[in-house]
Amino acid sequence: MNPAIETRDLSFAYKDRAVLLAVSLSVEKGEMVGILGPNGSGKTTFLRVLSAVLGAQGEIKLNGRKIATYGRRELSKLFAVVAQESHVNFPYTVAEIVLMGRASYHSPFALEGKKDLEVARASMELTDCLSLSDRYLHELSGGEKQRVMIARALAQEPEILLLDEPSAFLDLKHQVQVFELLRRLNRERGLTIVGALHDLNLAALFFSRLVMLREGKIYRDGSPKEVLTEKTIDEVYGIRVRVEPDPSGEKPQVFVCPSL
Amino acid sequence: MDVKVLDRRRMILVNGVLLALLALSVVGCALLGPVRLDLSQALQDMFSANADAEILFRARLPRILLGVAIGGGMAACGVVLQALLGNPLACPQMLGVSGGASLGGILGLILFPHWLLPIAGGLLGEISWVPLAAFLGALLSMMLVYRFSLFHGRLHPYHLLLSGVIFNSFIAAVIMFLNSIVDFYQAQGLLFWLMGSLSTRAYLTVAFIWAYIIFGFLWLWAKGLSLNLITLGEEAAMQLGVETVALQRQIFVASSLMIGAMVSVSGMIGFVGLMIPHVVRLIVGSDHRLLLPASFLAGGIFLCWADTLARILLAPAELPVGIITAFFGGPFFLFLLYREGRRKLAL
Amino acid sequence: MTVHCFVGSLTLLCGLNVFAQAATPAPRRVVSLAPSVTETIFALGFGNRLVGVTTYCDYPAEARKLPKIGGFMSPSLEAIVAKRPDVVIGVSSATDPVKAREMERLGLKVTLISLGSLSDILNSIKSVARLLGSPDAGEKLVHKITQQFDEVKRRVAPAPRRSTLLAVGLQPLVAVGGKNFIDELITLAGGENIAGNAAQPWLNLPDEYVVAKAPQVIIEAGMGSERERSAKYWRDLKSIPAVKERRVYAYPSDKILRPGPRVGEGLEEIARLVHPECFAESKRESNKGRRSGCEGSRP
Repeated sequence: MNPAIETRDLSFAYKDRAVLLAVSLSVEKGEMVGILGPNGSGKTTFLRVLSAVLGAQGEIKLNGRKIATYGRRELSKLFAVVAQESHVNFPYTVAEIVLMGRASYHSPFALEGKKDLEVARASMELTDCLSLSDRYLHELSGGEKQRVMIARALAQEPEILLLDEPSAFLDLKHQVQVFELLRRLNRERGLTIVGALHDLNLAALFFSRLVMLREGKIYRDGSPKEVLTEKTIDEVYGIRVRVEPDPSGEKPQVFVCPSL
Repeated sequence: MDVKVLDRRRMILVNGVLLALLALSVVGCALLGPVRLDLSQALQDMFSANADAEILFRARLPRILLGVAIGGGMAACGVVLQALLGNPLACPQMLGVSGGASLGGILGLILFPHWLLPIAGGLLGEISWVPLAAFLGALLSMMLVYRFSLFHGRLHPYHLLLSGVIFNSFIAAVIMFLNSIVDFYQAQGLLFWLMGSLSTRAYLTVAFIWAYIIFGFLWLWAKGLSLNLITLGEEAAMQLGVETVALQRQIFVASSLMIGAMVSVSGMIGFVGLMIPHVVRLIVGSDHRLLLPASFLAGGIFLCWADTLARILLAPAELPVGIITAFFGGPFFLFLLYREGRRKLAL
Repeated sequence: MTVHCFVGSLTLLCGLNVFAQAATPAPRRVVSLAPSVTETIFALGFGNRLVGVTTYCDYPAEARKLPKIGGFMSPSLEAIVAKRPDVVIGVSSATDPVKAREMERLGLKVTLISLGSLSDILNSIKSVARLLGSPDAGEKLVHKITQQFDEVKRRVAPAPRRSTLLAVGLQPLVAVGGKNFIDELITLAGGENIAGNAAQPWLNLPDEYVVAKAPQVIIEAGMGSERERSAKYWRDLKSIPAVKERRVYAYPSDKILRPGPRVGEGLEEIARLVHPECFAESKRESNKGRRSGCEGSRP
């Protein structure tokens, strides 16, 4: 069976600065992978290259097919992206935004149909923003906006979900809610999930596989226990921490040791 | 809870109402003017040399119809340019095309080879040399601005905006220079280009422009969904299935061609492309599948009345219609903004 | 008693003025800022005193050979100063007052004459003549022009007035309005300016207004007007009497448009277009002192 995502020697450079260097990664269908790394390690760039927004050297295959053989409409039904921030300069309601996720499922000349409305509603229910459906996007808080963006991504009915720091603007409760939702989607629907994360602890709790990037290269790839070691974190993030197992004993948790 | 979205009923309702208003406006404006019109006389003796019939059918109607086309076209281009540039304050003038068309027209006016007329006979006069020169100016400026905004084969909205604005400033300087060296009579013609005029009696021109603009408008309307997506941001649009590179190029070319043609025929009529999309957006929302046709119709209504005011306000003199659009458009928009805009507009 | 006082003080002032004029020497180096001023100076016989004219000064032929100091709306300050004029004569409606003040600050004497109405034009001719030291020449020239006026008035008197449109541009249509010396010329020529009630001297006229006012004569006097274009422009508005009776004339003429010493000739040109029948005389008729057709001419 073809892996959902497979990259080989993926390299990308902004002008003279190399951001990704020969990244070779393989993600199977139904896997839930967290991409970790400090700012500038290439997390966001990696996701942008994966979602065909940026062109890079090397090979990317989705479901065994080279990415260049896909048309954009096809790609948008295959994977959905939840970006870190969204700047929308025009007044749209939440419902309108979520429905835009259905764009590739109906003719561009037709209005949305019943199925589209149903999928949109279900997505909004899942992300707990159905009550916001008539509100304007720019009136919402950062967290509410994030949930709407996830709803839109889900409305695309993708096989793969790419998220760029999905918990960045959320309060604790909603952070946990989002990650629980992701895990549910992964287990119940077999959604392949790749997320760039900055919160190591939540990553350890919810993701079964972590990939640590350092200066554009893969530094460690494995289970949270394997990846989140004091030595690794020191080498990649440059800070000293203490790693202890969580109450269940299964997952590592990271404790920062600041000089007080 | 029911999700409120754009449906067929709303489309028909909004567009139907606007279409009816447009028809009423055309009729109303045809009956209004600085001179009294005896409608019964006009309709009775339509085909003879009847003053009332001539006023209605030869003097007023062509310019009203032209106004509807140009108002609609400018508004539609305003909508798509705001989407393309991701900026609610964009307007057709920003692309530089209108500046190039004006300069082309002015040069055509000044350099008109009067000596050619006896040689070429009536042909040159028939073709109407000046609008052609203007359209040529539009094409050249479109190619220039396009070239300056092209980076790695992609049209960057930011660069497009910059190139357009800088190009316009340059053109404005050239026009001002020409203004200082032409004589009094040519200066009048120059004013036409800078402030716009719908004065025309040529049904042929009006029909041509109508066909051109309707075609362009329909083409843009078909892209309505893609326009929605592109306002979410270039990357988001790509991820939602839009070929953004091709779309940007197509929209730029389509709107440039439309604007070029409009300015060639009626000079620079500003404000319509900036204001109408905003006003309509406040009422019908930002979904371009409805915003485009609604703005088109609203633009036609607006310019129709603006031209009527231009004819009436300082009678018997006729004001350039661009002055009316600026004069009334601005404060009206501020009023609307104050009343409702605050909670709806994402500025 | 007050009237006598008034007249008395006026006489005193005039006398003083003449005395003052006689005291200062007449300017010998003159710069003209307008074609009408140039024509006036030549007509007064002082063309040899002109040291600088605008690029639009083309009459009489000698004026074209004079050194140029710039355009009509944009004369060059440097060029004017370089000519070391004793006086610079401009037109109050056209010359930029800022430029005029600049010139004065540079030590030049600047006189602005007003050319709005016909009486303004005639008075200006007189004041230019006085300025140049020969008031008699001014009186003579004004007298000649006034006679030209009278001759035309006499000829068209028997004929009924004809509504007239006088335009200087077609697209856009720029017409002579009220408060314009050309409007007065039209009236003197036995015509009635259809836009004469307008407040502006020049205005864009919408076509419907022309149709409604139904002028009997249409004259296009702008430079660049030609018969073909005129005819084609008005062709489809057949309800206009001027179009129906083929009284649409393309007649580019500076004599009509320039507020200068040739206004008398300009008036005759207009009158010949508005009332051609009043000027069509055979030798036999003129010997008998009778005018043909003018009296019984149709409106």
